Amino acid sequence: MARMKFLCDADRCIECNACATACKNEHEVPWGINRRRVVTINDGKPGERSVSMACMHCTDAPCASVCPVSCFYTTADAVVLHSKDLCIGCGYCFYACPFGAPQYPKTGNFGSRGKMDKCTYCSGGPEEDHSQAELDKYGRNRLAEGKLPLCAEMCSTKALLAGDGDIIASIYKERVAKRGYGSGAWGWKVAYKETIAI
Amino acid sequence: MTRKQDEPREGVDLARRNFLRAGIAGASAAAATTAATVAPAEAAESDAEKKKARYQETAHVKKYYATNRY
Repeated sequence: MARMKFLCDADRCIECNACATACKNEHEVPWGINRRRVVTINDGKPGERSVSMACMHCTDAPCASVCPVSCFYTTADAVVLHSKDLCIGCGYCFYACPFGAPQYPKTGNFGSRGKMDKCTYCSGGPEEDHSQAELDKYGRNRLAEGKLPLCAEMCSTKALLAGDGDIIASIYKERVAKRGYGSGAWGWKVAYKETIAI
Repeated sequence: MTRKQDEPREGVDLARRNFLRAGIAGASAAAATTAATVAPAEAAESDAEKKKARYQETAHVKKYYATNRY
């Protein structure tokens, strides 16, 4: 069974933010919510790197672990989705997620936040596929249409990869084999704080 | 001339209030029936259906993989 994954090739991302814009437009994401955003490291300095970030659809998702109403579920495609009918807007997932993926549409009186919103990997939600309810609550279901997430499909530099984890890993491997390893935003050197030679 | 709270006033037939009790019971029953009929419609997809695989390696997806190999 294919496992859906995102992979951002930080050597190719040019921080154009088209992925974030396309996502907002495709799913009519409410004001104040970004399901995807571009994070830039060392902005304006030598070795600057940009990474497009969204929900990483974790195998053992922390958001699902902390949810008091168990509104999260993982599909057979390994996509982490949630039900807005069950969500109580407590915000636990917001604090648990290391990527800042869960977002809330409002800050109201008495701590009310509305229903949580996050990247759906363009695969809708628990409502019937291609129904109006699914479109209104979660956005378009491109995966059921035989397509991939729009953010990755329209990336001009092909930095953002999406799809079957094995296939996109092989694509990235081919790139690294050809150009050599040297990204400052990924890998052992960053994780273990060793000197980075870019 | 004090009257205890629970005592009915003279000349007041409390049976007239029974229609309120009947109304409340009827409304509760109607609400329960409505909820029972609406609930299946709201649960659009079963647990197995909502978790099923939707990814397909269509010509569109294969073309995407091919263009990313450049």
